[in-house]
Amino acid sequence: MRLALWWSGRALSAAATLLGVSVLIFAAVRMMPGGFAETILGPFATPEQKAELAARYGLDQPVFLQYGHWLAAVAGGDFGTSMISRQPVADELLARLPVTAELTAFSVAAALLLGVPLGVLTAVRARPRGGAAAGRLLSGLGVSVPEFVLGSLAVFLFSRYALGVPAGGYVPFGQDPAGNLASMVLPSAVLSVFALSATARTTRDAVLGVLVEPYVTAAVARGETPWFIVRHHILRNAAGPVVTLVATITAYLLGGALVVEYVFNLPGIGSYIVQAVGRRDYAVVQAGVLLAAAVFIVMNALVDLAVGALDPRLGVTGKGAA
Amino acid sequence: MRALLRDLDGLSRAGLACLALLVLVALGSVVHLGGDPDAIVGPRLQPPGPQWWLGTDNLGRSMLPRVMEGVGTTLLLSSVAVLVTAVVSAGFGILAGYRGGYVSELVLRLVEVLYSFPAVVLAILVAAVMGPGQTAALAAIVLVTIPLMTRLVRAAAAGVARRDYVTAAVISGARLSRVLGRHVLPNVSGTIAVQGTYALSVGISVEGGLSFLGFGVQPPQASLGVLIRQGGTYMIAAPWLVAGPCAVLVVAILAINVLGDGLRDRLEPRQPRSLT
Repeated sequence: MRLALWWSGRALSAAATLLGVSVLIFAAVRMMPGGFAETILGPFATPEQKAELAARYGLDQPVFLQYGHWLAAVAGGDFGTSMISRQPVADELLARLPVTAELTAFSVAAALLLGVPLGVLTAVRARPRGGAAAGRLLSGLGVSVPEFVLGSLAVFLFSRYALGVPAGGYVPFGQDPAGNLASMVLPSAVLSVFALSATARTTRDAVLGVLVEPYVTAAVARGETPWFIVRHHILRNAAGPVVTLVATITAYLLGGALVVEYVFNLPGIGSYIVQAVGRRDYAVVQAGVLLAAAVFIVMNALVDLAVGALDPRLGVTGKGAA
Repeated sequence: MRALLRDLDGLSRAGLACLALLVLVALGSVVHLGGDPDAIVGPRLQPPGPQWWLGTDNLGRSMLPRVMEGVGTTLLLSSVAVLVTAVVSAGFGILAGYRGGYVSELVLRLVEVLYSFPAVVLAILVAAVMGPGQTAALAAIVLVTIPLMTRLVRAAAAGVARRDYVTAAVISGARLSRVLGRHVLPNVSGTIAVQGTYALSVGISVEGGLSFLGFGVQPPQASLGVLIRQGGTYMIAAPWLVAGPCAVLVVAILAINVLGDGLRDRLEPRQPRSLT
């Protein structure tokens, strides 16, 4: 009962945040330069034409009514029409989703499959040879190199020296599976550098935190093997922060792999938003930004549930994961 | 200050030295130490040589003064933005942490809304509203860095607010402004300093990313992001156009992050580092 209460409270709080986000985005889009009427009718429109257009699209109504209409439409899956392509924004975004989803999947998989073992290993092994400073510098480098720097470097190396993997462009999986995977190698690699370093760092910190617990000392005293201790005592107890981080990264990538998609010329959601800002296609900007934030908020709420399930003490005491 | 320097480990001191060097370079560019950034000094797209240490760009301008100017723009923009963030976050964070209750709830809610946007997405939204340019980059950095700092300052202030010396100050009749400014602020200044350092590195990377996409600082003014964007066009023929600014950018971010790690170990032990 208490748990159900906590969960519904979490869902309510997520809904409140989402509402705040929608207000912010609605206000932001209304403040954008170049009015709707000018964009549609051009600079030589008469006041009568503008008034007619405003009436047709409901722009003469009070702001909060407009907001209400917009919110109702969005809730029904109608994100408006792109002013450039004249297509429904929802369809356009949906068409680009596979690219972004594929990119996200590969990067997150790399972070999980490499980052977590790396973090566990560096935490369990007492001191890596070469000194702590070298390790700090290396993992620091991984989170310090911006995506556009790493991306530019990759594009340069792979397009200048023909290393066998295309440095940009996209091939749909249905057309050419091998070509599709090849075109994903570089962008995913660039994205996963940050994801991997961050995951390894967080895993290491979490495992180090668990290692000092008395039950680990007791397990060592009982003569259990290190591998057994890691599997039975450490992994689940250290999972909380790692799950949170990986979910955050996933949400960020789904909505915000803008730079990498732009650098590698991938037709995903991110590069679409960049393009839309450049062309002042506000309906697309509005929808893209709202989706990115919504994915993040929903993911955050799910993570709290997952962390609560991993460590039931959190739910009972009524404290969510920080 | 000297005690602080002594306590920093070697790596963090190296980071501080790097940062100081970059500031000197930026100051040097103001008096055209490396040459006039807008002067055309030679043929186009020349590789690095004795006359132009970092090569020349597509108009025949020497890259060295351009990069120096870029460092200055990027550092100045990010520092001003982080100062704004620090003032706003400290104000709201301390008030929320001290007052608790609905004030705290309200501040946390507002911050949560900002926190829900991926950094680049928020930056691009700001750029779309304000129009591309320096002001947009500045506002974007402020909005991206405010949530985390406000949250952490609030948490620190909530801890300080329960201490005896704060109670004593309240009992002895100190006004709210005095309690907050004299007793709470100094005791959360460590958190502000550490988070400010990290925010500076986030700011540099946001400015770079936004300018790289073409929505931040606009040419002909140079910033590190602008230089990387412009150099990208000629990357295959003239990789040095991108290499110089990229290297400086990475060194700057890394130096600041390392310095931040050292400051955190010194100023607020046992606090885990956050990522964004």
